[in-house]
Amino acid sequence: MGAFLLRRFASLAFVLWAMTVLVFAIVHILPGSVAHMILGEYATDAAIAALEERLGLNDPLYVQYWRWFSGILAGDFGTSLTMDRPAGPLIFEALGRSAVLASIAIVLVAAIGIALGIHSATHVGTASDRALTLGQYFFIAVPEFFWCILVILFFAVWLGWLPATGYTPLAEGGLLGWAKHLILPVSTLVLGLIAHVSRLTRSSMLEAIESRYVLAARAKGLPERTVLRRHALPNALLPAITVIAVDIGILIGGIVVVESVFAYPGLGRMLVYAIENQDLPLLMGGMIVVTAVYALANLAADILYAVLNPRIRVGGAV
Amino acid sequence: MAEALLDVAGLSVSYATRRGLVHALQDVSLAIPRGGAMGLVGESGSGKSSMVLALLGLLDKGARLEADRLDFAGEDLRQACARLRGSRIGTVFQDPAAALNPALRIGFQVAEPLVQHRRLPQPIALARAVELLAEMGIPRPAEVAQAYPHQLSGGMKQRAVIATALACEPELLLLDEPTTALDVTVEAQILDLLERLRRDRQVALLLVSHNLGIVDRLCDRLTVLYAGRVVEQGDAATMLRAPRHPYTRGLLAALPRADRGQLQRLAPIPGGLPDLTRPESGCNFAARCPFRAEGCDAPQALRDVAGRAVRCHRAEELGDTPWPRPGHTAAQRAPLGAMLLEAEGLARRFRLGGGFLQMFRSRAEVRAVDGVSLSLRRGEVLGLVGESGCGKTTLGRLLLRLIEADAGTIRFDGQPVSPRPDAAFRRRAQIVFQNPDSSLNPRQTVEQALLRPLVRFGLASGAAADREVDRLLERVRLSPAYRPRYPHQMSGGEKQRIGIARALASRPDFLVCDEAVSALDVSVQAAVLNLLADLRDELGVAFLFISHDIGVVAHIADRIAVMYRGVIVEEGPTQAVLAPPYHPYTQALLSAVPLVGQSGRATTRLRLVGDVSATGPASGCPFAHRCPVKIGAPCERQAPAMREVAVGHRIACHLPIEEMARAPHALMATE
Amino acid sequence: MSATVATPAHRLPRTLVTGLLVVGAIALLAALGPWIAPYDPDAFDMRARLQPPSAAHWFGTDEFGRDVLSRVLSGAHHSILMGVGATAISLAIGVPLGLIAAFRRGWTEEVVMRCIDLMISLPPVLLGLLILAVTEPGLWKTILAVGLVYVPIMTRISRAVALDLLSEDFVEAARARGEGAYHILVREILPNAWPPLIVETALRITFAILLGSALSFLGLGPQPPASEWGLMIAESRPFIAEAPWIGLAPGLSLCLLLIAVNTVGEGLRDLLDPRLRGRGHG
Repeated sequence: MGAFLLRRFASLAFVLWAMTVLVFAIVHILPGSVAHMILGEYATDAAIAALEERLGLNDPLYVQYWRWFSGILAGDFGTSLTMDRPAGPLIFEALGRSAVLASIAIVLVAAIGIALGIHSATHVGTASDRALTLGQYFFIAVPEFFWCILVILFFAVWLGWLPATGYTPLAEGGLLGWAKHLILPVSTLVLGLIAHVSRLTRSSMLEAIESRYVLAARAKGLPERTVLRRHALPNALLPAITVIAVDIGILIGGIVVVESVFAYPGLGRMLVYAIENQDLPLLMGGMIVVTAVYALANLAADILYAVLNPRIRVGGAV
Repeated sequence: MAEALLDVAGLSVSYATRRGLVHALQDVSLAIPRGGAMGLVGESGSGKSSMVLALLGLLDKGARLEADRLDFAGEDLRQACARLRGSRIGTVFQDPAAALNPALRIGFQVAEPLVQHRRLPQPIALARAVELLAEMGIPRPAEVAQAYPHQLSGGMKQRAVIATALACEPELLLLDEPTTALDVTVEAQILDLLERLRRDRQVALLLVSHNLGIVDRLCDRLTVLYAGRVVEQGDAATMLRAPRHPYTRGLLAALPRADRGQLQRLAPIPGGLPDLTRPESGCNFAARCPFRAEGCDAPQALRDVAGRAVRCHRAEELGDTPWPRPGHTAAQRAPLGAMLLEAEGLARRFRLGGGFLQMFRSRAEVRAVDGVSLSLRRGEVLGLVGESGCGKTTLGRLLLRLIEADAGTIRFDGQPVSPRPDAAFRRRAQIVFQNPDSSLNPRQTVEQALLRPLVRFGLASGAAADREVDRLLERVRLSPAYRPRYPHQMSGGEKQRIGIARALASRPDFLVCDEAVSALDVSVQAAVLNLLADLRDELGVAFLFISHDIGVVAHIADRIAVMYRGVIVEEGPTQAVLAPPYHPYTQALLSAVPLVGQSGRATTRLRLVGDVSATGPASGCPFAHRCPVKIGAPCERQAPAMREVAVGHRIACHLPIEEMARAPHALMATE
Repeated sequence: MSATVATPAHRLPRTLVTGLLVVGAIALLAALGPWIAPYDPDAFDMRARLQPPSAAHWFGTDEFGRDVLSRVLSGAHHSILMGVGATAISLAIGVPLGLIAAFRRGWTEEVVMRCIDLMISLPPVLLGLLILAVTEPGLWKTILAVGLVYVPIMTRISRAVALDLLSEDFVEAARARGEGAYHILVREILPNAWPPLIVETALRITFAILLGSALSFLGLGPQPPASEWGLMIAESRPFIAEAPWIGLAPGLSLCLLLIAVNTVGEGLRDLLDPRLRGRGHG
């Protein structure tokens, strides 16, 4: 287990470093001058030269990279071009708000998705299984941004129950005000993912139910409830963890969209803002932070998987 | 049998499938008294596994069960099965690796029935589980109880499964192919255990198996199933000595046996299983029966014939008439030719795990093949025997240069073979595989599969290639009608024949047969073995015949090499290897083979402890850790060299030759 | 079981037939869009702004008085192109990479798979964002970005499929004949690899349309006045209270297309997935 963790952390560090190279390379090597991009196509040559001087864009690329990379290592993400403030605090403040959204969503996705999947698998062919299967079909295919429009139309515009956009900090609005702004974004985020997770949990649970060890457990004379809970479930949960890990990536994409629509001041919206306004330090810093969070979430899933799987947790022969 | 423990009468089971209703069991009756042991024998598709599930009440939801009587100790199983299974009926399924839950500790799984049926508190049940594991002959049972299934070897897993089945001291034990997934020396340990349990605990057995030898060892009564119907039922010893139903006769005649290592042809049963969706009203074996006569298409009842029940109207009339044997024998065989293949010091190690990011992981290496030398003459068959993981498959691939060797040289027809051999070597050295489902490309017709080698090696084209395909099909006794068929349109035996024809297409001089008949049912296996024997005799092809089944090897090989953990421990002419002096491993291997009609061999058995482990001590004899007769320090410290004990018969063992020669004959019963 | 038993002809799953019919209908409308659209999709009509659905404008009009039905019809091809184009790109790069990685093993495989791991360590939308952030947006760039995003998945899947097949004995038989890489990959592996790959491709098209329209929605796809559905939904947001039809019409169309394509994918899975076919019965 120790060696496993060490290996995983080593590869995590490698991936993050490679990500900095990739992000830097895409931003700097793709055709088009960075200064042009920032100032727009009608900028004067003098203005471009001045900006290039200010940003150190005339230095060789490796020098620029090292300046940026060593800054990140020291916690300095540079200065936002559009807001004229250090990018680091901006990014981490936004990250905190996104993390609230993401963690509520992932907990809901895991709990509801797995519960529905198990219900389907243990009620194969019944009306509720068929209804769930049909629902999965539908919810996997409907894009988040369209859900956003629909829920805003329904709950904010027509019913007027919930605010359509915005964010109230916990300190200002109290629990209710804070939660009100979260309900719609969270529910649009989780719909598709719940469908995905429940679908795959259903099939891994079915596979476990059809296994020989479940047959053997039944031959021991255990009641069906015990067979399912004790013998099928733990083995069906392992693939579910892998699916949820994959879905974290999709969730992050969803957050970008949902935050933009609901004007929720998180990291996703900030990234879109940075792209629209060509704020490169903000964009690059934000990308690295999101990648790091994603990699850490995947690592957590891997560790959870290893802890629950005796083949990894417990070593070789007795 | 008034007070039968298990009493089944008129049991029928059918499944609804896409192709229609499959009648898996038709009107089956059997009874087992307390403490009795019934063997239920049949090939795949006979319905024997449905029988076990029907008794447990665990048939699929789509299955239909009808029975006149389905009683256990006077109770109707249809109502009581949920209460009886696990408590008064224990079950052992085929593959222990699949039957144990990978997520739960062994001790917990063994204790589960005790908690469920005896209402024991968890700690007491766990303590009892440890005792049970110890009774099953598991060393360090307390540790094993704490382990997860993946940490145990196959034999240990099966012992744990048996411990679970026996936890509540059942009166009946259902054994569904309990040793099929195990190596033969481990199988022997499990059979010993089951024999002891039966004696000590008076538990009744229903042993479901395709292996007549196992049934003969453990059972006093025998039921032979064919395509869902009981064809013969009675005293096991009598039936195996003097079978009365043609199918039983055929099964026994088709069996290759180590104790009869001879070059005679086996007697295959032609044809395949009937369509179970349309059960015949008459005898369902008639289509394959050489004794078919008028009256076979009339419904056949089980009748009392010579003290047992037989479902054949000609049973008395046929008497002791044996199953007809094919005409030709080994008499026509050409003498062996010049030296064809010489391998010197072949070695290959495998690292467990890998990848360059895992460099800093220290991982064990397995010496799959560790300095093997062997040679083959033209037309000679060398049998290579050993248990799973001994390196025999790797050795076969090394000889064909299909995997790279770490060390060693190969000479073919006097010429050295380079690590990347030319087309000429590829043409002359070919391979036949174990699994007929995997050996043919599912998207190629028979014709495409057979044409490709002809084209690849430029042997024939156009009309000549066409004729050659027909000739190859004829060689493997198939008609040209098979040309447009895809693999899924053929049976296992037919696919295996196509695999052989494809290997023969390039007219090779050397053929590696890697477990080429192991996946086939006995009746089909005999036909394929005969075919290979014909090729050996008529074409003068040299074979490396790899198998875990020493009976099959003894049947076809001129010489036998016995392999253990990457090393050849004994090698010599077939008859010499099968008789003393033995390498202790060969002796154990031979005495582990369950033979029909040899239950008296018990006294001469040499039993091994444990299983082959992949990694082991680097120095000393590779067999020392399991050897029951090792002489101490020399065995631990120094690897024994090959010594010639007779002309062409070599053994690698530190034991004095005289001592090895004093070993009893492992295949013969001693009185 | 006897293999000579005649097997009943394959019946196409109902899901597949339904899905194909709907996708075909949408594709037909997309192709005929320019001819059957009642109005010029880009023509402003300031007198008819934000009109609710009526006989003249079935789906109403938008803030510039453009006919929403005409715009929905003329925008259909964007989504279809995104799905098909992006998936084609991911197939064209991913499948050869995966096959080669599986076949060559060793260092080739390590390098390919570690690069793939790297690409996968960026969440899909972000990789698309990053690629589109530094270049001028447009339909083809979106397609390229989405295609690249799905290269790792196609590589992984084709490698896994190929690795499975490479361990089959018929491949070993080909090696024993000394067949070259081309024969083994193209003649032995590919014909057996296409069923799982086709299922994956069909399902991938759904996700490509989803991701492409999400990027357009964020303003990183075709630019105004294009009638791409995701973009139309984004543009409708300020008018959501007074004229919801501007967003609902393209949104519902997009949903219909996605569900239909997904249904085709699921139908293909039912048809081709070996786990659902009766084994050994052809």
